[in-house]
Amino acid sequence: MKFKDYYQTLGVARDASADDIKHAYRRLARKYHPDLNKEPEAEGRFKELGEAYEVLKDPEKRAAYDDVGKRWQPGAEQPPPGWDSGYEFRGGEADMGGFGEHSDFFEALFGRARAQAQAQRRAPPRAQDHHAKVLIDLADAYRGAQRGIRLQVPTLDASGRVVLAERTLDVAIPAGVREGQHLRLAGQGAPGFDGAPPGDLYLEIAFRPHPRYRVDGRDVYLDLPVAPWEAALGADVDVPLPDGSVQLSVPAGSGQGRKLRLKGKGIPGRTPGDLYVVLQVAVPAPTSDAQREAWRALARAQPFNPRADMGAP
Amino acid sequence: MTTKLSVLQCQVVEEEVSMTLADLCRACDADRELVLQLVEHGVIDPQGSAPQAWVFGGSSLRRTRVALRLLRDLELNLPGAALAVDLLDQIARLQRELQAATRER
Repeated sequence: MKFKDYYQTLGVARDASADDIKHAYRRLARKYHPDLNKEPEAEGRFKELGEAYEVLKDPEKRAAYDDVGKRWQPGAEQPPPGWDSGYEFRGGEADMGGFGEHSDFFEALFGRARAQAQAQRRAPPRAQDHHAKVLIDLADAYRGAQRGIRLQVPTLDASGRVVLAERTLDVAIPAGVREGQHLRLAGQGAPGFDGAPPGDLYLEIAFRPHPRYRVDGRDVYLDLPVAPWEAALGADVDVPLPDGSVQLSVPAGSGQGRKLRLKGKGIPGRTPGDLYVVLQVAVPAPTSDAQREAWRALARAQPFNPRADMGAP
Repeated sequence: MTTKLSVLQCQVVEEEVSMTLADLCRACDADRELVLQLVEHGVIDPQGSAPQAWVFGGSSLRRTRVALRLLRDLELNLPGAALAVDLLDQIARLQRELQAATRER
């Protein structure tokens, strides 16, 4: 286990005042909050900030952390003996809500207090609803699908420590679901106490990135390579869809980047989306004299300056 | 031994679900008072005249959860969180339009 330098995480000096710590946290939290920053590394960074702030904003936790820090050998992978005992916390403060878990370092130093605080919390009259994010394939949104969804559920083990237990649910994903929407599974949240009904489970949908398709709400975009002669003369070509394929007539005289709409072939629903095929003219490299001569013949037959509107010959 | 799990049916919240005030509070693990204030600040906009008759559309779930996270994580006040939620939706809309316009070219 590595020592976590919470001061460095927040970019403050070890003798920073409570106000300095608050300001540093607020500034960095705004920068890395996952609702504000969609970069993939933002969420991890934000969790670190939250953990550092949780410790440094609380005078008791900060004192305990500073004490451990003083005794920790520089560069050591091992904590000093007895480092995680003897600190007492009121509990109930350690709550990072939706963005979740603490590092092993934090758990080792403060974990026991946290688990106790959770156990002491009164059971609500109706059990809590739970939330999770799931990744599905675009094809699942086209056809609907039955998917096993694995969730990490925090539970208390025999010694009262919070551990993550894995739970698998078999869910019927309805056709037509879109990115950012939520699925509600009635009764699959936290269990109820004293005969109270269980909570619900909400799953937020995201699509696994696809090498071919881009999704924008209900609409789906596909780059489709075509040969120069298909673009010039027109052609019927097969277009792969997430749930099958369809034939598309490429109109004669189509240029690079021409966008063709397949109405209603986007994500299905009451108002189905459209599928946009964006033509990408692919040019084969000639490899024989006959092929090179054919291109030269084309050049003679069809004078064409693609740079005409650049004012250059 | 394998246990056969039955397949769970679900609803798409944004399209098929409407919520009462109590439903929304539970779904977001939020106090009723706080949700009332989110309504007052226009973060969410239920139909119906009085809180006990309010009906929230499915999209209220996402806006409420974002607002609660911003309140908690960034230590914002309610008008600040309400403004941020509106601006985030506006940014998302503009990004979609920008992407569409870029593809037009």
